[in-house]
Amino acid sequence: MANSNLPRRIIKETQRLLSEPAPGISASPSEDNMRYFNVMILGPSQSPYEGGVFKLELFLPEEYPMAAPKVRFLTKIYHPNIDKLGRICLDILKDKWSPALQIRTVLLSIQALLSAPNPDDPLSDNIARHWKTNEAEAVETAKEWTRLYATGA
Amino acid sequence: MDSEDDMHDANDLESVDDDFYSGDTGMGSDDGDAHYDFGDNESDDSDDITSRQQQNYAILSEADIRQHQGEDISRVSTVLSIPRYAACILLRHYNWSISRVHDEWFADEEHVRKVVGLLEKPVEMPNARELTCGICFENYPRDCMNSASCGHPFCWACWRGYISTSISDGPGCLMLRCPDPSCSAAVGQNIVELLATDEDKEKYSHYLLRSYVEDNRKIKWCPAPGCEFAVEYVIGSGNYDICCSCSYNFCWNCTEEAHRPVDCVTVAKWILKNSAESENMNWILANSKPCPKCKRPIEKNQGCMHITCTPPCKFEFCWLCLGPWSDHGERTGGFYACNRYEAAKQEGAYDESERRREMAKNSLERYTHYYERWATNQSSRQKALADLHSMQNEKLEKLSDRQSQPESQLKFIIEAWLQIVECRRVLKWTYAYGYYLPEHEHAKRQFFEYLQGEAESGLERLHQCAEKELQVYLDAESPMKDFNDFRTKLAGLTSVTRNYFEHLVQALETGLEDVGSSNSQATCSKSSSSKILGNKSKSGKIKPAGASSAAGAPSRSMDDGNLWSCDHCTFANPKATNTCHMCEHHR
Repeated sequence: MANSNLPRRIIKETQRLLSEPAPGISASPSEDNMRYFNVMILGPSQSPYEGGVFKLELFLPEEYPMAAPKVRFLTKIYHPNIDKLGRICLDILKDKWSPALQIRTVLLSIQALLSAPNPDDPLSDNIARHWKTNEAEAVETAKEWTRLYATGA
Repeated sequence: MDSEDDMHDANDLESVDDDFYSGDTGMGSDDGDAHYDFGDNESDDSDDITSRQQQNYAILSEADIRQHQGEDISRVSTVLSIPRYAACILLRHYNWSISRVHDEWFADEEHVRKVVGLLEKPVEMPNARELTCGICFENYPRDCMNSASCGHPFCWACWRGYISTSISDGPGCLMLRCPDPSCSAAVGQNIVELLATDEDKEKYSHYLLRSYVEDNRKIKWCPAPGCEFAVEYVIGSGNYDICCSCSYNFCWNCTEEAHRPVDCVTVAKWILKNSAESENMNWILANSKPCPKCKRPIEKNQGCMHITCTPPCKFEFCWLCLGPWSDHGERTGGFYACNRYEAAKQEGAYDESERRREMAKNSLERYTHYYERWATNQSSRQKALADLHSMQNEKLEKLSDRQSQPESQLKFIIEAWLQIVECRRVLKWTYAYGYYLPEHEHAKRQFFEYLQGEAESGLERLHQCAEKELQVYLDAESPMKDFNDFRTKLAGLTSVTRNYFEHLVQALETGLEDVGSSNSQATCSKSSSSKILGNKSKSGKIKPAGASSAAGAPSRSMDDGNLWSCDHCTFANPKATNTCHMCEHHR
């Protein structure tokens, strides 16, 4: 089994994620692959994503924690730093990764990104332009998408 | 802005400093000494050859680089009373400029410490028997853990992994910080040396060495492929030509191959021109016409004017007027002479595109002329370089045997070959110079071409002597009596040619400014260049620049005698008259 020689760090992180979850975030490892996590993040209050439940997948590569985990949104989301494939533009997932960061810190950062979109460092040009030219309208679209794709209905 | 100026000043000061130091190493190697060395120097030939030029730079081997780097680190470490690893981090941050480190540090030590991540008071790791590693979350005894100066503890295995990941990511490892994301404490070479694998230590130290060259504005790698020397240059010392110990010559400023007398901008233009598609375009324009229907370029290499484009187009048209062939017949004056074209040409309808084609053709021919000569000198130079090496490696020993001369006494031959190589290089670049010399400056062009021609023939003489005439002595079974005469001849030719080329370079670098542009002066400059020729044969000293300056005022020089020279036609008239006998021009 691939899971048999799972590093102690991953086991510990998993245990802590399950026993003391961060508010608004749930992450549980897949049954057949302990390096693959199903993640749900609640849309932060006072953001266009409020009321939505966003599904993500998170994978810990072989080099983890020396290399960053791979995370992507599965739920469609209208956000200047997230593209239509769900890929996320976040520095700590790239060059600012540090092995002292954890799954928990990564997910908290993503949650914070939902509260504070950054159209100056965009992944999706169209959405970012929308955000910068007409923020109110962009926020409306984001709310619309949240209702359409991120509510359990 | 002010601070930047200060910085430059500081750097300049520093370079003066460095000049002083490098002066030590370059001592006893001027031009002058090279001559005295003639008889009695034994071993260090190669050193003398590389340092023939005036030294405004020093060639550094890897060991030299490490030594310089070490000295710089020690200096900063001593002055600021900080550990060597900290001095190293500081120097790297300020691009290895000692003066900048000093300036910044003494201006605002706290700020500098913050920027580079050097804590003033190191923090010890928490004082417990066991600590938890911040990466693998395992507990370890305190003495199996380590931290940077910030006290964040990590186990050795995680440190090793952290350092290794960063090193394999590239030179950024030189700016490594504590793994804790909220901490900016620098991780220096001391920790790498303590914890990393041997392989990683080596890579790190290699990056550190490269940084000392690549981030340093006074040092550059020699751009020759495979060469591992670096060059330390005295900033602001003028002459950009560098001769590396690997015998490659390059320009400090643009790191292209050395290109005096041509300036860096022209060289860049010329190189771009040689590589760019633009020449292909010119060729297509000059030698082809577009098919009037499908617009593909068609080259007419021979045959009649009836052109049929290749399938699928298959359009039939007249090459002369580009009209459909179906319109051609008796009416247009027959198939082989398109009257429509002749008539239209007379009316001027075809002029524009014809003219463009004609111009492109001329410009292409002009370019080809210069390019061919540039490239030929380039390959001659390569050949001469190969000959030089074969001379150094095999022939010199043979010659020393045959003529019973110690090798140290045969240095003049190497000198000659080095001169040939150098001259080929200069000559090559004079063609790029010629290409960009404005067409309308007739006097300059004429003078330039004359100088260039002289340079060619002077170099040929030297080349001939070093190649053909030397062969006799190589083939000889026993020492020949006239070998000393040969030595005198070749050494003489070498020095004459060197002088000529040095002055040529100077004259071209000043843009032949002494040459006026009017036609009358063009003839004067011609006569002055024959003076150069005369000088050369007598004393071996040539001064094209000086001679041509005299050319600017030929009429005045005659005033000493009883004659005055007409400004208009140069006729020498008796002083008594005020009107020229020849052209009736007034004095």
